[in-house]
Amino acid sequence: MDGQIFLRLRHRIKTGNDQLIYLEDIAQITGDEFAVQKLSKMPIYHVSKKDRHIAVLDIMHVVKTIKKTWPDIDIQTVGGAEAIVEIDTGKRQLSPVLFVFVWLLLFVGAALAIMNFHEDVSMRLVHIRLYEMITGKTVEHPYLLQIPYSFGLGFGMILFFNHVFKKRLNEEPSPLEVEMFKYQLDLDHYVALKENKETMKDIHDR
Amino acid sequence: MIGKWLFVALVGLGGGLTVGAGFVAFLTVLGIIPRLMQLTKTQRFIQGYEAAVITGAVVGGWATLSEVHLHLSKWLALPIGLLAGIFVGMLAAALTEVLNVLPILTKRIGMDGKIVLLLMAIVLGKVFGSLFHWLIYI
Repeated sequence: MDGQIFLRLRHRIKTGNDQLIYLEDIAQITGDEFAVQKLSKMPIYHVSKKDRHIAVLDIMHVVKTIKKTWPDIDIQTVGGAEAIVEIDTGKRQLSPVLFVFVWLLLFVGAALAIMNFHEDVSMRLVHIRLYEMITGKTVEHPYLLQIPYSFGLGFGMILFFNHVFKKRLNEEPSPLEVEMFKYQLDLDHYVALKENKETMKDIHDR
Repeated sequence: MIGKWLFVALVGLGGGLTVGAGFVAFLTVLGIIPRLMQLTKTQRFIQGYEAAVITGAVVGGWATLSEVHLHLSKWLALPIGLLAGIFVGMLAAALTEVLNVLPILTKRIGMDGKIVLLLMAIVLGKVFGSLFHWLIYI
């Protein structure tokens, strides 16, 4: 009895520890009705302690497992070649102390960086000069320029990251979200190739 | 004498050309203008924004090189300071260091959900640092 199915591996799945992963968990399946029904509940992989946090399932492994029980089936694969299995081993909770430390680190660092920047580009002289241009008066501390400038600084950063007007202005992702997505994709790509022993082979000095 | 002037003019023109091109390239790389257009949905005014940047740069360049005094109200300094601050804030936010460091940092210390709080630390740090610099440090 032969049939045809189409497989598309999911990019990333989350499981708990010591769990059995079925074909329908790891891939989208379509094709001949009877084949889909028979294969959906086929166990593909058993998550064990030695996998630790992450495991990678290669499409070849999946095809091999299916072919073992059903050699005649025609499997068409679509999309990516690996699925990343993220194993949730009880989320490590961040201590508030550490969070406060990181927060203060960023706060002080950002403050120092902006002061260095101002000194570096002689911002004070530029402000004095600008104030002189507008009013014709030379003052030592053009506060009327500098205090709005300081608040504008924060406002400009928030504007760039778009966290205030998110709901109101548009649904497009902010640059930070795009950057986080790209970083996650890079990590996934690394894991998919590095954790998967089948993708690399040393035939040196055979 | 005329040859000398021509040479000086050529040097000046060449210098201005390079700096102008560099300035525009810098703004383009940081992507502030696209970001502003995306926020305000005014992509169709792109040429107007180009003109704004160019005239701004030319006026700023001319104003710093000449001794111009407008003798206007001192309260005009307030909106100008605010606008200057917003622009520099966007520059600071757009610098790729911030964009690259934050995802890695939040991932490393396992608090992906709290990225807004960390962002606020940086934003408030900038505001505080700037105020401290103008009001106390100098």
